[in-house]
Amino acid sequence: MYKLTGVTKLYQKGRRTVTAVAGLDLVIEDGEWLAVQGRTGHGKSTLLNLLGGLDRPTEGTIELDGTNLGALRETQLTRLRAEKIGFIFQTFNLIPTLSAAENVEAALIPLGVSGAGRRAKIAAALDAVGLADRAGHLPTELSGGQQQRVAIARALVKEPKVVLADEPTGNLDEDTRDDIIALLEDLWRERGLTLVLITHDTSLARRAQRVGVMNKGRLTIHQATGSAAAPMPKPSATPPSG
Amino acid sequence: MFFVTYLRRELRRRMRQAVFIALGLALGVGLVVTVAAASAGVKKAQSGVLGALYGVGTDVTVTGAPPKSQAPTAGGGGGVTGLKNEAGKSFDTLTSSYSGISASKVAEVARLHGVAEAAGGIALQVTSITFPKNFGSPGSSSLPQPSSFTLDGVDTGHPSLGPLSTASLTSGHSFTAADADANVAVVDSGYATSNSLKAGSVLTIDKIKFTVIGIVRQAQASSPPDVYVPLARAQDMSLQSGSLKSDVNTIYAAASSAAGISAVSKEISTLLPHATVTTAASLASEVTGSLSSAAKLAGDLGKWLSVLVLIAAFAVACLLTMSAVARRVAEFGTLKAIGWRTRRIVAQVLGESVAMGIAGAAAGVGLGFAGAAIITKVAPKLSATVGGNTGAQASAAGGAKPAPPASAPGGGGHLALIGGSGAHTVSVPLHPSVTVGVIVLAVVLAVAGGLLAGSFGSWRIARLRPADALSRVA
Repeated sequence: MYKLTGVTKLYQKGRRTVTAVAGLDLVIEDGEWLAVQGRTGHGKSTLLNLLGGLDRPTEGTIELDGTNLGALRETQLTRLRAEKIGFIFQTFNLIPTLSAAENVEAALIPLGVSGAGRRAKIAAALDAVGLADRAGHLPTELSGGQQQRVAIARALVKEPKVVLADEPTGNLDEDTRDDIIALLEDLWRERGLTLVLITHDTSLARRAQRVGVMNKGRLTIHQATGSAAAPMPKPSATPPSG
Repeated sequence: MFFVTYLRRELRRRMRQAVFIALGLALGVGLVVTVAAASAGVKKAQSGVLGALYGVGTDVTVTGAPPKSQAPTAGGGGGVTGLKNEAGKSFDTLTSSYSGISASKVAEVARLHGVAEAAGGIALQVTSITFPKNFGSPGSSSLPQPSSFTLDGVDTGHPSLGPLSTASLTSGHSFTAADADANVAVVDSGYATSNSLKAGSVLTIDKIKFTVIGIVRQAQASSPPDVYVPLARAQDMSLQSGSLKSDVNTIYAAASSAAGISAVSKEISTLLPHATVTTAASLASEVTGSLSSAAKLAGDLGKWLSVLVLIAAFAVACLLTMSAVARRVAEFGTLKAIGWRTRRIVAQVLGESVAMGIAGAAAGVGLGFAGAAIITKVAPKLSATVGGNTGAQASAAGGAKPAPPASAPGGGGHLALIGGSGAHTVSVPLHPSVTVGVIVLAVVLAVAGGLLAGSFGSWRIARLRPADALSRVA
């Protein structure tokens, strides 16, 4: 479970201080799917970075299962990311020189999984995203949708508690987008993941249990009505104050 | 395994850049290897020259003061007053370029602090002239041409000192301590060939018959003594300037340690104030000619050129690595996001750089060998000149052939031959040698270049915040 309390993130841009996230209080329950929408530059990606431990808040605390991420040393944070958090990026971010299987394998390197166990996990992850027959293909030999499936397999191979997805369908055509959405939804259901998904795509956002809208660093939570709306966890986010 | 796969694929992706970096390092390293090999070749040639002049294992050579000017008057050996009456006779004239030093001084030198061993020697120039039987009669030819050779009196009790110590035996045997008073001689192979001598032949010097017991060969670069005889026999010979009975004209000394050579040299100078004391270092400083120029070229220009090329290669490698890291910021950000520790990413980048360094080292050593081979092929023979009225001259006489006699038989019916004491020049082939040490140096340099380049890249990676890195994704 995520618990954000008074989280503020300020950036220095020249002489100007930019408020990316302003006094955010939010609770994300285990197994919840939260979609975050908002215009570009209003703090969506900053929020995702803070949740993923890729950035630290200027003020406030972010707790994951009771651990204050801001108080962890960099190595501890790295370890936490390796074990508990899977990332999915808009541009897939696959290593271009590595095959699909090797890209998935990269996520297991920090965990020290070796030998047959590693191979089995990789095969299972690729199978789960429907790419068992493309294990040896380089990213350049795969379509955009297939590349994103590899990225999803990479995020899931370590069996994380949380998946943070930043515009996962942003670079895909409509048909592929629907496939990826369906895949994410299935995996979310099957694995009981906590899924935080940033998207501009309203149709995708509506499938989440809750939808938050970021506006000038403040998050407003709305109830969703899509396919994932039931069972709905208890809403626990509060709009940022002042 | 993943490390190697990732490294190999990444290098393959950046093949042109990797080859460029490796070639840059190879060029620098190759130049270092070539210069080091040439330098080693020059040093080898120098030590060959010095060793031949000086004797391997000899640290200090002491020679008597140069004799006062020798007027072309009656010589020693068979002084002649009426050339016409000398028809059919042979004369040997023996000269020394140095005054005698009492043989007892050898023991005193040996007792000096820091001296491990000392031996006396006598270096002589022997000039022979044979008058034809019809000499002086009507229709006979003009004055016969003299021939000369160098003779070295060897302390048979100290075979490790002096010019004979550098020689290798080609036939027969060398002196033993038992030969100290024997009429035996060891002959240089060049002199033996030109005079049809072999082990068992008899050689007459100053009317003394010597049995040749061995033929030796000296380094190609040297001009060794032609004939070696036991010291006592050389002392018995009559010199133009008097006798060296109970004297030597050269003392060879070995220091207990290389660091003590200078101190030993000073002590000997104090003990023998009129003698010339020469060390290998002082002799080396007296060497001139193209060998000396080559040594300077290799030491100065070559060294600095190598350093400059290496710096340029390192700089290019660093810049290209930094540029590669800059292009891979998103990749490293992604790896950090999925839980890779910074040091793991740094190890990956360093691994790539070291791999390029090793490739550069291999190519560089190859280039170095090629460079050394080209030098061997095209380099002309070097000349080394040791001369002047210095300590170097003293050593030259210890084992090298001085200039031929400056004058023919003198007037007044007297035979007068002057032993040469001028500059001595030897021709030395340059053979650059690539040693194991140089190869190790090359590998270390190239890998260091790779590591340096990788370190710059790593420094950038270490400072990279994953959020910033991911924000740069196009």
